[in-house]
Amino acid sequence: MNKLKILLLVIAGGLLFSTTACNDILENVEPATSVSGEVVLTSPEGVRALRSSMYAKMHESFAYRTEYFVAPSAFTDETRNRPGSTRYQNLGQAVGTSGTAHIATWGTHYNIIQDANLLIGAVEDGVLPAAELNRIRAEALAIRAFALHNLVKVYGYDPGNFGVGELEGNWDAGVVIRTEPVIDVLDADLRPRSSVNEVYAQILADLARARSLADNLGTNNSFITLAFIDGLTARGYLYAGEWANAAQFAQSAINNFGGTLQDTPGGVANMFDENIGNHPEALFKLIINPDTEGGGFNNDGPATYTSDGFLAQIPTQFLVDKYEEGDYRLGWYRDCREAQRVALNQPTGCADINDGGFSLVKFNGAKGQTVDDLPFMRLAEMYLILAEAQYKAGNQAAGIAALTALRDARNAGETPASFASVQAFEDFILDERMRELALEGHRFFDLKRLRRDIRNPDGSIKMFASSYRILPQIGVGLRNVNPQLVENPGY
Amino acid sequence: MYQKLLTILLMVFFSSQIALAQTGSIVGQVTDAETGETLPGASILLTQLDRGAATDFDGNYVIQNVPAGTYNLTASFVGYRTFRQTVQVNAGQTTTLNIVMQTGAIGLDEVIVSGYAVTTKRELTGSIASVRAADIQDVPLQNTEALLQGRAAGVNVTADSGNPGAGFRVNIRGNGSVNAATQPLYIVDGVQISFDGLSTQAASTSPLNALNPNDIESIEVLKDASSAAIYGAQAAAGVVIITTKRGQVGRTQITARAETGVRSLARNVDYITSEQYVDYLAEGAQYITGWDFDFARDNRKDFLLGFFGEDPFNPGQLANTDWQDFIYSDGVTQRYNISMSGGTQATTFFLSGGYEDTEGTAFNTDFTRLNLRSNIDHQISDRWRTSLNVNLARSTQFGVCQDGNFINCPISQAMFEAPMSFPYNEDGSYNPFTRFGLANNPAVQMNEVDRVGTVTQIISNMNLIYRANDWLTFNGLVGVDYRNTDDQQYRSAIAAPAQGGFAFYAARQVQNFNTNLVANLRQTFNGVHNVSGLVGTEYRRNYVETRLVQGNGFPGPFFTVLNATADPVTAAGTFSEWRLGSYFTNVKYNYDERYFLNVVARYDGHSRFGAETRWGFFPSFSGAWRISEENFFDVSFIDELKLRVGYGTTGNSAIGNFASRGLYSAAGSYQGSTGLRPTQLANVNLGWEEATEINVGLDYELLQGRIFGAIDVYRKDNNELLFGRPLPSDSGFGSITENIGSVRNQGIEFEISTVNVNTGGFMWSSRFNIAFMENEILSLPEGTDIRADNTFDALKIGKPIGLIQTPRWAGVNPADGRPMWYDADGNITFNPVQSRDAIEYKDGVANVFGGFGNTLSYKGVTLDTFFQFSFGQWAFAQTDFYFTRTPDFLMNMTTEVMDRWRQPGDITYYPRAMLAGTDYVETANYRTQLSTQSMNNASYIRLKNISLSYNLPTRWTQQVGLNNVRVYASAINLLTWTAWPYYDPEVAFNPTDIYNNQTAASYPTERQVNAGIEIRF
Repeated sequence: MNKLKILLLVIAGGLLFSTTACNDILENVEPATSVSGEVVLTSPEGVRALRSSMYAKMHESFAYRTEYFVAPSAFTDETRNRPGSTRYQNLGQAVGTSGTAHIATWGTHYNIIQDANLLIGAVEDGVLPAAELNRIRAEALAIRAFALHNLVKVYGYDPGNFGVGELEGNWDAGVVIRTEPVIDVLDADLRPRSSVNEVYAQILADLARARSLADNLGTNNSFITLAFIDGLTARGYLYAGEWANAAQFAQSAINNFGGTLQDTPGGVANMFDENIGNHPEALFKLIINPDTEGGGFNNDGPATYTSDGFLAQIPTQFLVDKYEEGDYRLGWYRDCREAQRVALNQPTGCADINDGGFSLVKFNGAKGQTVDDLPFMRLAEMYLILAEAQYKAGNQAAGIAALTALRDARNAGETPASFASVQAFEDFILDERMRELALEGHRFFDLKRLRRDIRNPDGSIKMFASSYRILPQIGVGLRNVNPQLVENPGY
Repeated sequence: MYQKLLTILLMVFFSSQIALAQTGSIVGQVTDAETGETLPGASILLTQLDRGAATDFDGNYVIQNVPAGTYNLTASFVGYRTFRQTVQVNAGQTTTLNIVMQTGAIGLDEVIVSGYAVTTKRELTGSIASVRAADIQDVPLQNTEALLQGRAAGVNVTADSGNPGAGFRVNIRGNGSVNAATQPLYIVDGVQISFDGLSTQAASTSPLNALNPNDIESIEVLKDASSAAIYGAQAAAGVVIITTKRGQVGRTQITARAETGVRSLARNVDYITSEQYVDYLAEGAQYITGWDFDFARDNRKDFLLGFFGEDPFNPGQLANTDWQDFIYSDGVTQRYNISMSGGTQATTFFLSGGYEDTEGTAFNTDFTRLNLRSNIDHQISDRWRTSLNVNLARSTQFGVCQDGNFINCPISQAMFEAPMSFPYNEDGSYNPFTRFGLANNPAVQMNEVDRVGTVTQIISNMNLIYRANDWLTFNGLVGVDYRNTDDQQYRSAIAAPAQGGFAFYAARQVQNFNTNLVANLRQTFNGVHNVSGLVGTEYRRNYVETRLVQGNGFPGPFFTVLNATADPVTAAGTFSEWRLGSYFTNVKYNYDERYFLNVVARYDGHSRFGAETRWGFFPSFSGAWRISEENFFDVSFIDELKLRVGYGTTGNSAIGNFASRGLYSAAGSYQGSTGLRPTQLANVNLGWEEATEINVGLDYELLQGRIFGAIDVYRKDNNELLFGRPLPSDSGFGSITENIGSVRNQGIEFEISTVNVNTGGFMWSSRFNIAFMENEILSLPEGTDIRADNTFDALKIGKPIGLIQTPRWAGVNPADGRPMWYDADGNITFNPVQSRDAIEYKDGVANVFGGFGNTLSYKGVTLDTFFQFSFGQWAFAQTDFYFTRTPDFLMNMTTEVMDRWRQPGDITYYPRAMLAGTDYVETANYRTQLSTQSMNNASYIRLKNISLSYNLPTRWTQQVGLNNVRVYASAINLLTWTAWPYYDPEVAFNPTDIYNNQTAASYPTERQVNAGIEIRF
């Protein structure tokens, strides 16, 4: 009996002890894979990991891995859906008079800017060696500029085009500019859309500041390089119609890049294949590990959308017709069944979209598991910017020379020595941009910045340049949270 | 402060005098009042001591070693009214008390487990529903939650899925939370069950799969705050207390049971045939091209032949496959149980073992469970008792993916595959031209994919009870719920060509531990002042660890293990935990069993919350008045009338383990470096959701217990709701969790049980319960509606959670067959705009639900029918709507398209044939435009259970040495009455969606017909 009494006292005592120490017990519970912001922003490992996150957010997001490349083609006349496929069918069917389908991603860009802002503004000097920290800041500035440009080119009219819309006489709303880190909930204040010109000023200021820190940047094009900073600056000036500046920075990008244009049939045809050419012209590309980072690619990566998977967006005959015989770039077009990594033996319907039954294999899952690296900017684009900007700046010979350099490298046929009008030149350069940059994220934005109507492959009007549908809807979701966001006209 | 006070209080109890008393015994015999026959197996209980005995085969009982004193003795037996009397025990003497029992319902003497203590319905001041083993003995259910379906007023139980082993949504008195969990707390013999670490291979798995329903003695649902407040911060969504069977003193009884049955799909959807499909497409093509019909038909047929290929068994023709038949087929279920119970005065036991194997209707689905239970009670001395319950279970659930428009899930494939496609070629190889290619051919999913979750679980508790003296008892409990879930998924290279096949394993371990120490008091002063109560402390820790591995690339179809894969691609693991420390007390007082007062308080500290708000205090008060005990009350046909009033506060702590902290989490990687990124803004003020509830109830018992039941009216306000307050997405954060907003649930619950006829061996009894409830959002962050224009997830003040907003459908234009809608002004429009034209239409709240049943028995034959019903929920069947009504994607089409508009003047609900939803000029896409036409009423009445059993006459069975042999046949979900046009209204929701108004390819519940035999000896 006594033993039992002792047992009781021991149990009771133990319980009382454990519960009086309760508060301590309740405090010592820590998450497995999370830490506080303080730890991250003040430790070298933490800042490096934040930088990795910034790059990772790009390849993790549909907006960067697929929408960036494929949507501007599907939305215009470069690609159409193979019968029975549905990916981006809504963009192909979108017209200028009804609906809301558009290339419209908002939050993802700001998720990337969130990490960039922390790296730019929340890491004290001394946490890392100055050179490394400045390198990271330069990268973050460039990536913030890149994200802002990707936003503003969708949501607002390009500088100088504010009067193009039929509904509002002068519509210059851009996107929200947020350049300070959000550390406390009070930092997450509600902001209105800045004007397009303000956004471009911010982009160019970020790029200028990045350039001032560029001594610390490496030449590895899988991170931000000086050539990319120049290239993005050139792209920004091109969209803004500032031809002289665009030409200057395009030339600077070409010079800083170091590499040259591919000028052999194999060199051109295989440049997108990571196992062969491996992006020799990329000013900036993201490298994806198919085993650990390929999760989303299988379902909605660019290859899945185009040539290794759902075979949804197939190049139109209109696009294929743009090439002359012998153009090395025709190497990017392959029989859509053979191009699949797991070859198909069933009818595909690709020939309904182009006579040869081709798919465009820039993204073809060469790394396995439908994964490709993501080249966001190529040297060829710099030649095209240089050509267009020089010509429009009045240096027609220099413009045609840049165009010829590219076309000769591609064996594209003879380049006209002169053009009857700026319009004729612009028509030609638009075609050249299709030939070179199809499925690389340009077609819609080229037509938009040049106030061209969006047409179907058969030439019929899809949406007039003045249609409200050129700009996307901000949407009630965003506007419910932030009533200061004004909606684009027509929605 | 509270902690110190409670600690001192506990100390005082422990230091109280522990005196040894001398003992005596009670003996007697129990007989039936009408026939005089003895009653074996009746339970005798001394309520003060919580000790008792069962009568033996001759109706005799003995309770020894009873300390001298006066006790309340009760005797109870199924079908008889409880006998109550005080009895005097003198030291060294034997008191004889013979008991005569009257037939009738148990009514108010029913013993109720109400949280850390046992009480009777008579003493109850709160609202508790209970289900007994006797109510459900012939219900062939594998799942504990299902036992509650329709049987407890105000408890809305809906199946997540028809997948055998799937979980349930148990909603007690409405949805009171938007972002914290709304599942009740489950307690099995004092062990609080964890919801963590469930298998992910079948979309839904019940956390109670380890329990065998045959082992369950009773289930009590603590519905109102005054009952549930004793569980404090875990109780806002109610508490379900499950008590398993225990042994009774007497000869060992062995019960063996075997049953088998067939499961089939409860409802089918009718889809059109290939030829009807061609006609439809031809018509659709005609409108676009102007072709004549025959040409259009040939053209479309050729197109389909090219697209799908020729029927392998009928060259040149289209196949006509019934994919529902292919995917769903009848499953066989079998179930075996054996239990032994008995014991001596000192030790009683209940031992049981069970095995069941249930095949689902969708291919590959299956659930097996093997469980062993041992419940042992031992009286160590006259002051010490102990008990040990151990339940070991291993369950295996073969599942299919579901609840989404997935191209590889059979439930959606039944809608995605058109009749023109077919699973196999003539040579038996897989047809690669099914709708989503070879890898997603349903036959490939059937044969080349395995998804299985295996759970090994221990639920066990040990109690040590010390009776300090006749008014004070200490009860210590240690409970464990250890669950080990092993998920495996295998896909061959055919099903996963990109990876060359893969094997995926997930191991999830849950270590869920709780312990408590409770002091129980009970004392009567001056014969009329009855005081009882308890003081206790409790600690719970819930720890879950997960490890995931995946290997890709098999050399061939020979292996399925990781060792045979070429590339290890996933190695992931993490853990998470929470802890809860508590003090609680309950004081009960009654005057002469006429006026009752009950005070409960619990003080909880939770590791999930910020330092400022860690501890929460949850009090409740309730009282009851037994009007029928008053002298002035003189209504002869009313035996009992009790008014109950309760008010209390409970908490909801079911949020993320670290929701209050500012976090950077490991996520993403680039070039071999793992990323760290901000994922959550800090919020030190994050605190509990609180529910305050007022409940007024009336218990009644009429006509000598032939009619009894209760009426309850309640209003529950859930305040301080945890909301993710949306942040502007340009901040990079989606939202911050804050305590803002409140929701009200209020309603009326009514239950009645009657014994309609009880003469000459014929007995007919009925039971009925119904709950009316409404749900309303009272306040929201900053007073602004959230997602105010959205179709399904708008949160608007004054409206229920789950409001559906959609434009009105105006029918089909009789002139040209175009679909039409109404705009906001009531004019016809062909392009409705959600934000402008939507009306507040219906909601996903089931406002009226309940069940009713009848039991008829005569000379050993018993027929039991039980209906369950639910009204008021509306839902949108995504997959059916988007994919089976138009031929955009060449998928199955429902026979609704046969009612299409064909010529001017036709008045019908389906527009003219189309090739795609976008065919109509300047008209919204018919496939995707939602409207009131898209929403369906998910109300139903279901014959949930019908069973017929026959007890073989004892004169036969005893000749072969058996006490009792019973054979029975039963069915569940045999009949359903509903307006729901698709598979199943009961699963018309998504298990993870609180709005309860959408469903996407949910695995339909199944009909099951069983037959079994039970032998006792």
